[in-house]
Amino acid sequence: MTFSRDGRDLHALRGVDLRIAAGEIVGLVGESGSGKTVLGLSMLGLLPKSARVEGVVTVDGVDITRASEPMRRKLRRSALGAVFQDPMTSLDPTMRIGRQVHEVAGSTAEVLRLLAAVGIPGGQRRLRDFPHELSGGLRQRVMLAIALAGKPKLVIADEPTTALDVTVQAQVLTLFRRMRDEHGCAILLVTHDLAVASTVADRICVLYGGLVAEVGQVRPVLDHPGHPYTAALMTSRIRLQADRRHQLPVIAGEPVQPSTDPAGCNFAPRCPAATPLCVEKRPLLTVVPAQGGLAACHYHAGEDVARGLSRVAGLWGPSVPTAGDGGVTVRRLSVRFPGRRGLRRSEPFDALREVDLDVNRGESIAVVGESGSGKTTLLRVIAGLQAPTSGSVVLGGAGRMPQMVFQDAGSSFTPWLTVGQHLYERVAHLPMATQGERVSEVLNRLGLPAEVARARVQQLSGGQRQRAALARAVIEPPDLLLCDEPISALDASLAATVLNLLGRLRRELGFGMIFVSHDLAAARLVADRIIVMTGGRIVEEGPPDNVVDHPSNPYTQALLASVPQVSTCR
Amino acid sequence: MPVRGVVSPGSAGASMNATQRYGARMRGVGVLERVGIVVLLLLLAISLAAPLFVTDPVISVGPAFQPPSLQHLLGTDDVGQDIFARVMYGMRTSWLSAVAVIASAIVVGGLIGLVAGARGGWVDSLLMRLTDTFLALPGPVLAIAVAAALGASLRNTVIGIAVVWWPWYARLVRGEIRSLAARPHVDAARLSGVSRGRLMFRHLLPGAIPPVIVTASLDIQILVLTLAGLSFIGLGAPAPSPELGAMAARGADSLFTSPWIPLAPGCAVFILAVAANLAGDGIRDLFDRG
Repeated sequence: MTFSRDGRDLHALRGVDLRIAAGEIVGLVGESGSGKTVLGLSMLGLLPKSARVEGVVTVDGVDITRASEPMRRKLRRSALGAVFQDPMTSLDPTMRIGRQVHEVAGSTAEVLRLLAAVGIPGGQRRLRDFPHELSGGLRQRVMLAIALAGKPKLVIADEPTTALDVTVQAQVLTLFRRMRDEHGCAILLVTHDLAVASTVADRICVLYGGLVAEVGQVRPVLDHPGHPYTAALMTSRIRLQADRRHQLPVIAGEPVQPSTDPAGCNFAPRCPAATPLCVEKRPLLTVVPAQGGLAACHYHAGEDVARGLSRVAGLWGPSVPTAGDGGVTVRRLSVRFPGRRGLRRSEPFDALREVDLDVNRGESIAVVGESGSGKTTLLRVIAGLQAPTSGSVVLGGAGRMPQMVFQDAGSSFTPWLTVGQHLYERVAHLPMATQGERVSEVLNRLGLPAEVARARVQQLSGGQRQRAALARAVIEPPDLLLCDEPISALDASLAATVLNLLGRLRRELGFGMIFVSHDLAAARLVADRIIVMTGGRIVEEGPPDNVVDHPSNPYTQALLASVPQVSTCR
Repeated sequence: MPVRGVVSPGSAGASMNATQRYGARMRGVGVLERVGIVVLLLLLAISLAAPLFVTDPVISVGPAFQPPSLQHLLGTDDVGQDIFARVMYGMRTSWLSAVAVIASAIVVGGLIGLVAGARGGWVDSLLMRLTDTFLALPGPVLAIAVAAALGASLRNTVIGIAVVWWPWYARLVRGEIRSLAARPHVDAARLSGVSRGRLMFRHLLPGAIPPVIVTASLDIQILVLTLAGLSFIGLGAPAPSPELGAMAARGADSLFTSPWIPLAPGCAVFILAVAANLAGDGIRDLFDRG
C-alpha cells in the first residue's frame, strides 16, 4: 500500500501478508512509522482517500478496501470492533455512555450485560455518566464494551493501553484475554511495546518499515528470534532484572524513510549482520527452523545479532553524587489547584502535600508514580513553571535554570522555528563566535548531523527529535536536568537509546537529574535513588535495587506487580 | 489523524522545492475558489493600474446619458463623465479602503490580542473588557456618528468602521495565543531563558497568523459591501469623486431610462464581493490543509 501526500509517494506498507484466525490474539509490534496503525485501519476500511491500495484485505470473505461504503458499514457493524489509543477522543463527549453502548447493543439489558462483562462496577448508575466523569481505564472499558456489542469476529485494538497507568494497563490486558475466551472473537493488538504484546497474544507479528519482519507463536519467536530486528527489540528492552552496570544494548541508526523504496532488506542499513546480499536482494519470509515461525532474513541471524549486541554494550563509569553546591532542596512543598464554583463545579485538588526532597549535585533521582501522583507537578515547580501553594524550592549552584526534557519531544519545539534557532536561543548571551561553536559541538556530542540545525522538528524522525530535545537541554550544561516521562511513548530500541544517552551525558557533563516515570524498570536503570509517589506524597524512598527487590510499601508492590514483562524460557 | 503520523514520520516536504510544495498545496483548492483568487488579483491589478489607461473620472468627457459604446465602454452618466473610468477608480477606492480597515484592525487588534493572551491575568481582563466595549458599538451607526461629527468623507467613514472592526481580531488573536500558550513548546522556550518579547513574537505570534489571514480574506467581501452601503446612503466622499455606492445612488433615478448608470457600479460591487468571497474560501482551504 502506498500513500500519496503532497505529490510524493509514501510507502506505509510494502506488501504485508497476515492472516488472523478466528478466536486468535495477534500482537502487531513495530516502532512508529512501521505501518502498524495503517494496517489496523485498512482492516477497518478506514483509510483516507489518498491511500492507494495494492493487494486485498479480506474480512469475512469480502475485500473491505474495495467494497462499497454501505458494504463496509455492514461489515464493521457485523464483524468488526475497534478500540483506539485515546478513549476520550473516540467517545462522544456529549452523550451518556449508556446511550453510546445502546446504539450498538440495541437493548438496555444487553448494555448492562456488556458493562458488567468488561468490568465496569455499578451498572445501572453508570449508564447516565458522561465520558469525562470516568477514569481512563473505565473509558477504555466502555470502548471495549462498544467494540464487543456487535458480536464482532475481529476486534482491532490500536495501542489500547498506551495512555493508561501501568496498574490499569495490566487489568485491561487481562480483560482482552477474557473477552477472547468468553466471546471467541479474534483480536489484533497493535502496540509498540513487545512486553504488552507478549503478555496477551498467541501469535506475534513484528513489522519493520512496512514489511513483516517476523511472525510466529509468541514464546518461540521471543526465545529464538529469527530476524535481527526482533532480536534487537528483545535485547534492548528495559527489564527489571537488567544489569545496572552495563549500558543497554541498542541497535544504531534511523528507521527506513517511507519516501524511499530500497531494493534489498529494509533493515540492512542498521543490521550488524548485513552482507552485500542483504542490500541487493529483499529477503522473503522463510521458516526459522529453531522455532517454526517465519522471518524475513536471509540468514535468520536474530540470535547471533542478540549475542553481538549484548557483548558490545559498554560498562558505565561511576555515577558520583557529591554533597554540596549545585543540588536542589525542596521543603514542605504543597501545591493545591483550587476548585471551580458555579456551573462547572470541581473540588480543589492537592497535587503535592508537604513534599521534602534533596537532590545532591550530580545525583540522579527517579520519581515513580501513576498519573495524579503529583510527580509531574513536582517537576514543574522545580522548573519554575508552576508556583507552589506553600513550601520552598532552593536551587543551589550558580542559579542556572534547570532544563527539562518533555514527554513528547516533538511538541517541545516551536513548530515554525528550526532546531538551530532553538539551540542558538539557549546560548544567546555568549559572544557570536562562540555560539556557532557551541551549537556544532552539541550536535556532535549527540550524534546529530549538522543539517538537523536547519530542519524544523516535524522533519525529524522520532529518534532525532529526542536527541534534538536533549541537545537543547545540554548545550549549556545545566546543574539539574528534569525529565518528564521521556521514554514512555517510545519503542524498546529507541527508549534504550535515550536511557543510554541520558546516562552518558550526565556522567560527561556532571549534572544532576530528576527522572519522572511510571516505569520502575527504567527508573531502576537510570537512578541512584528511587522515590515512589502517590496522592501527592512520597511513600517510599531508597536505592534502586532495594526498592525493586524489597519494596516496603504496598503501593510500590502493586506497581512492581503490574510492570509488563516478556516471559521467556531463558 | 493517526494515519498522517504513521505514514510520515520522516521528512514531509523536506526534499521538495518551494514550487513543488506550492503546486501540491494548490491541488487542494477547488476550481471556483481558484477562479475567485484569479479574478480578485486581476481586478486588483486593473484597478491599481487604472490611472494609466482610463481618463480622469471627474471631468466630463462628452454628452450625458450616452449608452455603452466603444468609445465609452460603459457609457456616460448624467453629467457626461465616463462610467468605465469611474467604476475602475471606484473599485480601486473600495479595495484600498477595505485593505486599510483590515490592516489597521490586524495591527491594533493583533497587538491587543497578543498582549492579552500572552500576559493573562488582570492585563487580559482589562484589555478584553475594553474590547467588549467596542464590540458593543453598532458599526454602521458609529460610522454615521463619526461622519456626522467630522464631516462626510471617505476617510471618516473608514475611521468609523476601523474603530469597530479591530475587536474581532483582538478576540481571535487572543484565543489563538491562549491555546498556543498552553502548549509544551512555550514552557520549553521559557526554560530556555528567552525574553518576554521574543516569547511573544517568535514563539507565539506566528502561530496566530494563519487564522488571521483566513479571517482577513473573508472580511474583504464584507467590507466592500459595508463601504458601498454607507456610501450609498451618503456617508462617503462627496459628490464628484468616484465611489461605487454613491454612483449607484446617484444613478438610481435613471434606472429605467439609462439603466447602465446605476447597474455598472452595482455589478462592480457584486463581482468584487463574489470574487473576494471565493478567494477567501480558497485561502482558507490552503491553510486548513496546512
